Amino acid sequence: MSATPRLLRRAGIALTALALASTATACTAGGDAGSAGGNTLTIDTSFVVKSLDPGHVYEATGNTAVHAMYDTLLTFHGSDMTRPQPDLATSYRMSKDAKTFTFHLRRDARFADGSPLTADDVVFSLNRLRNLKASPSVTVTDLTASRTDAHTVVVHVTKPDPNVPVILTQPYTGIVNSTLVKAKGGTDGADAAKADTAQKYLDRASAGSGPYLLDSFDASSQLVLKANPRYWGPKPRFSRVVLRNMDVQNQKLTMSRTKGTELALDLSGRMLEGLPSTLQRSSADDTFYFLTLNADPAVSKVTSNPAFVKAVRASIDYAGVAKLFGGNASPAAGVVPPAYPGALPKSEAQHQDLAKAKQLLADAGLHTPTVQLMYPSITYRGVDLGTVATKVQGDAKKAGIRITLDPQPLSSFLNAQRGGKVAMRFSPQSLNYPVAASLVNNLAPGQGTAATTGWTVARADKKVVAAGKKVDATLDPKAQQKALQDWQRLLNQSSPYIPLAYNSGVVVASPALSGAVYAPAGWQVDIAAVGSSTK
Amino acid sequence: MTATTIGAPAAGRRRVPSLVRFLAKRVAITLGLLWGVTVVTFALVHVVPGDAATANLSEQALNDPSVVAAYRAKWGLDQPIYLQYLHYLGNLLHGDLGTSQQTGRPVLTDLLQYVPATLELAVPSMILALFIGTAVGMFAAVRHGRASDQVVRAGSLLGLSTPPFWLSLVVLYLFFYLLGVSPSGGRLSPQFAPPPSVTGLYTVDTALAGQWAATWDAVQHLVLPVLVLTCLTVATLIRFVRSAMLEVLQQDYIRAAYAKGLPRRTVLGRHLLRAGLVPVITVSGLAFASLLSGTVLVENIFGWPGVGQYAYRSATGLDLPSILGVSLFVALVYTVVNLLVDLLYGLIDPRIRLS
Repeated sequence: MSATPRLLRRAGIALTALALASTATACTAGGDAGSAGGNTLTIDTSFVVKSLDPGHVYEATGNTAVHAMYDTLLTFHGSDMTRPQPDLATSYRMSKDAKTFTFHLRRDARFADGSPLTADDVVFSLNRLRNLKASPSVTVTDLTASRTDAHTVVVHVTKPDPNVPVILTQPYTGIVNSTLVKAKGGTDGADAAKADTAQKYLDRASAGSGPYLLDSFDASSQLVLKANPRYWGPKPRFSRVVLRNMDVQNQKLTMSRTKGTELALDLSGRMLEGLPSTLQRSSADDTFYFLTLNADPAVSKVTSNPAFVKAVRASIDYAGVAKLFGGNASPAAGVVPPAYPGALPKSEAQHQDLAKAKQLLADAGLHTPTVQLMYPSITYRGVDLGTVATKVQGDAKKAGIRITLDPQPLSSFLNAQRGGKVAMRFSPQSLNYPVAASLVNNLAPGQGTAATTGWTVARADKKVVAAGKKVDATLDPKAQQKALQDWQRLLNQSSPYIPLAYNSGVVVASPALSGAVYAPAGWQVDIAAVGSSTK
Repeated sequence: MTATTIGAPAAGRRRVPSLVRFLAKRVAITLGLLWGVTVVTFALVHVVPGDAATANLSEQALNDPSVVAAYRAKWGLDQPIYLQYLHYLGNLLHGDLGTSQQTGRPVLTDLLQYVPATLELAVPSMILALFIGTAVGMFAAVRHGRASDQVVRAGSLLGLSTPPFWLSLVVLYLFFYLLGVSPSGGRLSPQFAPPPSVTGLYTVDTALAGQWAATWDAVQHLVLPVLVLTCLTVATLIRFVRSAMLEVLQQDYIRAAYAKGLPRRTVLGRHLLRAGLVPVITVSGLAFASLLSGTVLVENIFGWPGVGQYAYRSATGLDLPSILGVSLFVALVYTVVNLLVDLLYGLIDPRIRLS
């Protein structure tokens, strides 16, 4: 008898065995439903994380984890953005000129190694953050910290800024164990951007006083936290938290079947449709999507024409764009999302007016103007940006504007955007920190985004410039919100920005959880606040 | 007889050096190929729009020339491209693939972590695909022109034209969501800690650590991604096997074998299968190399931290050392697999061995 049929027969037997094993596997595998139970909290999210060093953390997943590992002077609870609450600081006082802030620290806070948290750690952490010149440093460039005594810290800014307490809630202002971080190559010196080498250590271990500690971190699969046994506050409900890198579609399927202690962070808009009604949802409109048209004639004679900008603004079907996002999305009224004080009322949402758009083009002598629209070819919060860009293209065409689409990989888009040579672009935008006034520092003429749009002070309407300055100069929160609304109305009349829609971040949680609230403060969900509804 | 006696030792003497020559030639080609890969990858990364500093530094840092300069100096980006390349090549000769800008770890360490994850998917997928593809392809060839052949051909075509991400979502929907008989993704369920790394294969490492529940869990997590990869590979194999077997079936020696009254299974097993396997091995080698190179979409949907995901993150972050590391790995996989395929030819077909 030949060897080959024998081989084939053996293969057949092996295959049958394998098939049986697979069937057995299928029959006994309970799915992930049961796996997320016990004392483990599972968080499903599509990873956006580069670093877990508070001085470098900037992306969504990193912020969520770092907020759980590092305490900050102040914090926000849940989705309430009205006023920062005590965390490491029991109280604080702002000087009348809004330049000096004095924080009194709690005395029982300790790091995971048992050493007490003092003013020296706070000073080191904040000064290191500023001098690292990493992504989050941009919000603290004007900030210096010093100690008065072991439990009192004074934070000083050169320009009046009543929002410093809000900035000090952000995960990147997390307080690190200065002794430990210095031993691992950290420095808060002026040369920290070049001399600090602690990031490598802080990406592998935590040096904070927060409710959780870093157990393991793999940027492509999972990030595991374990409860800090020396945490000074209430004991965390879960001894272990696993943040899993999971595709959005898979998150939807997983949450549809979950019976354990599990939540998902990337299901929003249309991805929420069809989910079981037993799942909990918490959301806040904290993101806006906008078009930016370059105001520099050297870049584009078309987009730098104010009449063209107004025509595009009038041509868009804002309600139709919002529908593409599904869920709680709504047409934009201005650049401040509704989650934050200072947003324009929904009644002021923009409307399509094709006749006006055509008239504006005719008056300006623009016949079938053509422009290229660049956007990152990504899916953001469950929405393919290409779909939205196509809708804009179609709307503009009805007014006689020809738009050609130019999708780019994210890194190429960011590179081109930074170069300031893009005629027209489309992207989502969130706040650097949860204060709407921070947008002025980014969008006002000559500032960050404006500079890459060719919108200089010289090219801007003087009223817009003055309105932005008024926002900055107003120290009273209520009055500042009013100033912000006035500034946005002027932006809608004369600026290169066209806000299209607001979209929300959402936390979808299993029924077994409590306290799974979406936090527009910057960390998506407060892991330590998540508990079990079945005690 | 005399000629044979004289010639035999001479042939024996030639045989060993010829094998050595063959292997030496292949190693030289492989080294040349790897060198070529470094040149092309290096050039491509510098030609595409984008800049490593822009991709990795903050806006504020980019506005500070001293920070940008320090970053460029740290990663050697301040040197002319040819010097960067020579520096890289020098380190490569010492086994240093550089440090990843994304993970901050040596690229070799990253690869040693991610390759086993991909290997854990690729090996069972390939073994299953090989058996199923060969059996079904042979069956279709033997049943040439009949309804069963048409069904197999249609199925194979369907498999070839099915996008991997779509199939992944379908099996997830079916086996995880509807039937609830499979985990949704990842290598282990959240309640299990990754085992101490010995081989990097979770199924093996958990068993070595005596964590049997975790071993079973790791096996369960393998099922769906392996199923998808097997389906995709089987579709290719079936077509090749069928086509190769059809060609062999028309050979005179097959008819002669039947005419001699040999049993059908002997004809099929000894004559048909063996002769038809050579082209199948070629395509199997390529399919295996493709599986080992990482299947980005499948890994992404199943949250599988393999080479594919690593390559994707490296490319989007313009992480040159990682991109080069992955490229070299892929090139090495293809050349080694091709070498093995060539050696297998000789084992299976005596004509090739003799030539």
